[in-house]
Amino acid sequence: MSTAIPSPHAEPAVVVARDREDVLVGGEIVRHRRSVRIVHWAVAVTFMAALLSGMPIWTPVFGWMAFLFGGLSACRVVHPWTGVAFSIGSVLLFFQWVSRMHIEPSERAWFGRRMLEYMRYQGDDSGTGKYNGGQKILFWAVSLGMIGLLLSGAVMWFPDVFLPVLRRASYLLHDFTFILFAVAIVFHVYLGTAAEPGTFRSMTRGTVTREWARFHHPRWYREVTGDDPRDQRPG
Amino acid sequence: MTEQGLEIRRSSASTWGSKTGQRVSPTVSKYIDTTTCIGCKACEAACIEWNDLRHIGSEPTGTYQTIPTLHADYWNLIRFSEHETVEGGFLWLMRKDQCMHCEDPGCLAACPAPGAIVQHENGIVDVDPARCIGCGYCLAGCPFDVPRFHEGTGKMSKCTLCVDRVTVGLEPACVKACPTGCLQFGTKDDMLELAAHRIEQLKASGFAKAALYDPPGVGGTGVVTVLAQGDHPEWYGLPSDPRVPLMTKIWKNVLRPLGVVAIFGAIAGALGHFQKYGPKLPPAERGSEKETA
Repeated sequence: MSTAIPSPHAEPAVVVARDREDVLVGGEIVRHRRSVRIVHWAVAVTFMAALLSGMPIWTPVFGWMAFLFGGLSACRVVHPWTGVAFSIGSVLLFFQWVSRMHIEPSERAWFGRRMLEYMRYQGDDSGTGKYNGGQKILFWAVSLGMIGLLLSGAVMWFPDVFLPVLRRASYLLHDFTFILFAVAIVFHVYLGTAAEPGTFRSMTRGTVTREWARFHHPRWYREVTGDDPRDQRPG
Repeated sequence: MTEQGLEIRRSSASTWGSKTGQRVSPTVSKYIDTTTCIGCKACEAACIEWNDLRHIGSEPTGTYQTIPTLHADYWNLIRFSEHETVEGGFLWLMRKDQCMHCEDPGCLAACPAPGAIVQHENGIVDVDPARCIGCGYCLAGCPFDVPRFHEGTGKMSKCTLCVDRVTVGLEPACVKACPTGCLQFGTKDDMLELAAHRIEQLKASGFAKAALYDPPGVGGTGVVTVLAQGDHPEWYGLPSDPRVPLMTKIWKNVLRPLGVVAIFGAIAGALGHFQKYGPKLPPAERGSEKETA
């Protein structure tokens, strides 16, 4: 009597995704192994907590967010610690991802023209490896931004330790960095969910479909499967 | 703290006030004449007593000064400075350090907590501990380095100009205690008149540079100080041209509104992008979507 419904966790692709990446399992390719997903989610959650507890202190326009934490005074206590947690998570994330984040000379156009083309669903993606130029730019931008937020935040945390002029500069740096961060993350989440179907599962199951990989990251697809995506194009 | 009997002119991080226009509240001011101050510190003691501040003791500085700088439990400090003039003369200068109750308060501009810093209709700038979150932004916004973080309460603390006394028609405790009359209290107009008279006397006595310290960079202050060496307030440890710091203004008046627009703009941009381009799908799937559509 073996009528048990197979647990999704017993699926070969999910099992492999616990500790291996860039391998083909059935119709799926493992994109992010479990430890990478956990760290990325930890960064996401602590970032959102820092964002929601910091924005009501930034401007009364977002004052209503303070009630999520029990008021503005609670935000003032919670925010620095969420920032510390976010920074720790970001450092772990940095070392997990950095080896594939080298911006190649051919990807420099991503700082301008290529990024716009990408958002218009134009241009040639055939040379795109596991991460495209836009993802690499985001990686370096948020890594630098995290350092800026951490250093300025440390100065802001303790009201009477640092010189006023340093504190004033820190307020500017913290807010400037946070604004860029918030704008970047809006697009990061948008591209990872609604704009590019099939992407979000790489952060849940850890896998993507062959078709997704062939379409969005052809060079990575080629490396993992050994197939030339041009030969596989259907029809 | 926010006094019920006083209308509020300005409030931090908010646009509301409580001004109903029923009462006429002339701007009040404390007058300090540094030329008749004898450094007795009765004002310091009176301040501690009336405001029920914790006794923190003294910390020798090598002068007659009680502690090196203002403290969360020490809102009123007579500062002693020595100055050698280029002509070889020697000046022993005293002045009363405390919140200046600026007409254009940098602390209020910097404060992120709605209503935590208020400017009353009579010009008194006060911290409401119930609303203060203890972030210390006010300290960085203050051109006089006055607010202090109180370790015990986790709130900012500073001179209230004895707003609780003033509301019921009394003078601040320090003024009450001053034995020489170098401290006076009243409407700002009266205090300016008093100062003008005193400066005339000083000029007639050989202090040609005597002047009133009522810095225009912060719109004037609710504490005005007569200085015998009026052309050199920095000799007394006073900033010569205090202003709300430029970085504080850029931070609050430029970067903050731009940031709000940028964040809403990003969300609108993503929604607009989805509206125009829709999900990015492989050509085959895009074709099949069109067929079913």
